[in-house]
Amino acid sequence: MQSSELEGAEPAARQAETERYEPGSDADFERLYRNTYRRIVGTLITIVRDVSTAEDCAQETYERAYRGWAKWRPDAPVEAWLHRIAINVAISDRRYQRLRQAGEVIRRLGRPAPGADPAVVAERSVMVQALKKLPPKQAAALVLRHYHGYTNREIAAALDVPEQTVASRLAAARKHLQVVLGS
Amino acid sequence: MSELERELEQELHRVLDAVAARPIPLRRAVHPRVGLRALVGGAGAALAVKVLTGVAVAAAAVTVAGAATTGSLNPAVWGQAVSDQVVKCKQQVANSSQHGIGDCVSSFASQHGAAVSSAARHNGNGNPNGNGQANGNGSSNGNGNANGHSKDKSKDHTAPPKTSSTSIPTFDPEPIDQVNTHPPVTISPEP
Repeated sequence: MQSSELEGAEPAARQAETERYEPGSDADFERLYRNTYRRIVGTLITIVRDVSTAEDCAQETYERAYRGWAKWRPDAPVEAWLHRIAINVAISDRRYQRLRQAGEVIRRLGRPAPGADPAVVAERSVMVQALKKLPPKQAAALVLRHYHGYTNREIAAALDVPEQTVASRLAAARKHLQVVLGS
Repeated sequence: MSELERELEQELHRVLDAVAARPIPLRRAVHPRVGLRALVGGAGAALAVKVLTGVAVAAAAVTVAGAATTGSLNPAVWGQAVSDQVVKCKQQVANSSQHGIGDCVSSFASQHGAAVSSAARHNGNGNPNGNGQANGNGSSNGNGNANGHSKDKSKDHTAPPKTSSTSIPTFDPEPIDQVNTHPPVTISPEP
């Protein structure tokens, strides 16, 4: 992907990174929440099983972030920090996913016919469904790269891994995705 | 960019942009966690309450134990208890080859002395020597005998003198003079 395409694809993400936040400030954390919530949910949707779970995980993400807000260092990219927390939350959620499946089936039995709700559209998307079948860290790398437009270096910062690991993870994710979509 | 990457990007934007455009919900409130200091403080406070409760229970137990020896801390009741004990000791001596009931009565009396002393100490008005005088009303001969036997025991008189080996101590009440039965006594000063 060209760098010009990257920069044109995610002006909001770039803007969020240039915002100044004071660690420990409640007002700044609320501003951070408003600025980043949608992108965090967008990442989580591709990892967890549905939109409502993604929203729950997003709230959990901000709860954890708030507890560590006073310790956050302004020299670290704040959205990368949030994404790292969000991906960890999503991985934890996946571990408990099987336990919830029985209750989910019962809950869906009484659900009315779905309309044009974007959440339902997202849940029915073949691509999103395929992403959910990938390991969480691979799916996260793809979304950070191809939806949020992060560079490999930024993804490495978000996932707290070497840049080389991001490259190999992305390659593996693409191969895995092809297999899932082709099956 | 490969075909897969382009398709991936378009599909993600088509699907996720619509979801992301929804109103942002209110942030969930974060409840402050209970600090370690508060936990320790709470545990410390609970521990202090437990220690104080333990001390109170121990004091009550000592009082009850003292009362349990005779059924009461009242010296009058104690006197009756000693009388009963003497009878028992006489029976024991009759059934064995032991001489005298001194040791038997002494052991019983020393129990009472210790119990009364502890109770008085916990009540804060007693003599810590534990000599049975904590109640201070002196209305019972039993108290005096108890002290005496207790002291004798400390000297380890395993073989008491035989001079009065056949005499058995009695605990009959002292005679009480009736009022106006004696003429007044006049004592003249010595030259």
